Amino acid sequence: MQILQNVVNFLLGLGAAVFVPIIIIIAGLIVKMKVKDAISAGITLGVAFSGMSMLISYMTGAITPAAEAMAKSTGISLPITDGGWTTMSTISWSWPWAFLMFPLVIGINIVMLIIKQTDTFNADLWNVWGKIFTAVGAYYITKSVVIAFIIAAVQIVLELKNADFHQHRIEKLSGIPGVTCTHKMAFLAAPMYPIDCVLRKIPALNKSFDADDLKEKVGIFAENHILGFILGVIFGIIARYDVAGILTLGIQCSTALTLFPVISKYFMQALEPISNAVSEFMQAKFNDRELFVGLDWPFLGGSNEIWLAVIWTIPVTLVMSFFLPGNEILPFAGIINIAIAVPAYFVCKGNIIRMIIQCTIFAPVFLWVGTAFAPFVTELANTTGAVALESGQMISNSSIDGPIITYALAHIAQIVDGNFIPIVIFAVWFVCFVFYSRSLIKEKKADMASGN
Amino acid sequence: MATRVIVACGSGVATSQTVASKVARMLKDKKVDAEVQVINLREVDRYIDGSAAYISIVKNSKEYPIPVINGLAFLTGVGKDKEFDKLVKAIEDYKPV
Repeated sequence: MQILQNVVNFLLGLGAAVFVPIIIIIAGLIVKMKVKDAISAGITLGVAFSGMSMLISYMTGAITPAAEAMAKSTGISLPITDGGWTTMSTISWSWPWAFLMFPLVIGINIVMLIIKQTDTFNADLWNVWGKIFTAVGAYYITKSVVIAFIIAAVQIVLELKNADFHQHRIEKLSGIPGVTCTHKMAFLAAPMYPIDCVLRKIPALNKSFDADDLKEKVGIFAENHILGFILGVIFGIIARYDVAGILTLGIQCSTALTLFPVISKYFMQALEPISNAVSEFMQAKFNDRELFVGLDWPFLGGSNEIWLAVIWTIPVTLVMSFFLPGNEILPFAGIINIAIAVPAYFVCKGNIIRMIIQCTIFAPVFLWVGTAFAPFVTELANTTGAVALESGQMISNSSIDGPIITYALAHIAQIVDGNFIPIVIFAVWFVCFVFYSRSLIKEKKADMASGN
Repeated sequence: MATRVIVACGSGVATSQTVASKVARMLKDKKVDAEVQVINLREVDRYIDGSAAYISIVKNSKEYPIPVINGLAFLTGVGKDKEFDKLVKAIEDYKPV
């Protein structure tokens, strides 16, 4: 045990940009990649880590002084920098146990398929990091790797169930058969369901309008470079910078938001061969059975309603962040909140008015959960050196996917300290999930009976 | 210069890069000289000119002047070979203007 601990400490000491590539080279060889391809993937991953680290330092270097100046001019202190999902995935992959999540995800999926508890085969192995993220939260609370993985296992089972229930509605909304969404962002649909039941009773809210035109007009605000610039300028004005300072901050923020996706791509490039090998193995194994393929959300990205809801949520989140009690995060890189719009799209069946109401109601949840996760995320970043932070600097994400369940699962072990809130939140979520899934099954049966 | 094909997804990061890496590997194995570029959905119009094909992972309501390949096939495995043949043909038929 002591030796193992020494090995782990040695690897950690190397820093994420070195030890995670070593792990991926080993993982690549296990799935029978060619040696040269495995090494190439490993080095690409090292580049991804260093690149993200550079970019996050650049971003915090620009935003932190602005946040401090804003705190002085307004009296509102928002000390947590919002690194968005790209930062969260970087930090998650740097957890020393992260790669063990692959066999867990695949193993549970195979067992669930064999015992016929699911019809979904999850091909989205990129979002393994979402399981790692929850596990990291649980690990920092319990200090137990085993408990962290048990909690991740619960999440994996729920994701498959959730994907099964959603498949029919997703096919109806997207027109794409045979696929479903295994992303944990879809968990938020369950607590949105009771609200939608009420909203549907108000006739004025059942109207819909053509989202295409409006999206053409306002879509530019969701472009990373434009949005980054606007946010930077707003921060600069609130911080009472001079004109040069405001414009400089605008370009700095624009640079950060533009480069995040550019660098994140290297993570995908490095991890794709492994996830591909696993997909092909699974497809061959269950060749004789008709399965739904679980994917990440972007195959729904053709829906203008989702983009409109995302754009609507940007100013709502920004304004709320200044006035919401208990919020300490300044929304920035996570402000393009897909994780709120996609579940709203599922629950409201694409009705844009009801989606906008849901996004407004649930926006505070994302700020609170982003604030709650800051200590773990920051501690992991500092331990593994995945991200270079100034001492005392905190980092998190203002759009953590499936915030309610992620919070509840990660904190559930606090019950031993007498904190019952996470388990109560989980129970409430679960009741919503049961009722929501029943409504989805009922809809499927009704459509089948009427021959749709 | 290698012929360009484009892949787009919501953020231009995760799903599109997965499809792109896979397609690029398949093209390399077949010795087809092409560059697979990843973009986000909002940039498609800007990149159509100069590309031999658009690998789409969403259902399109719009018509494009270049061949559109179903990118979901590369994620699900269903109809993958057929879509890949379509892509190779589009690259071979492509004449830069």
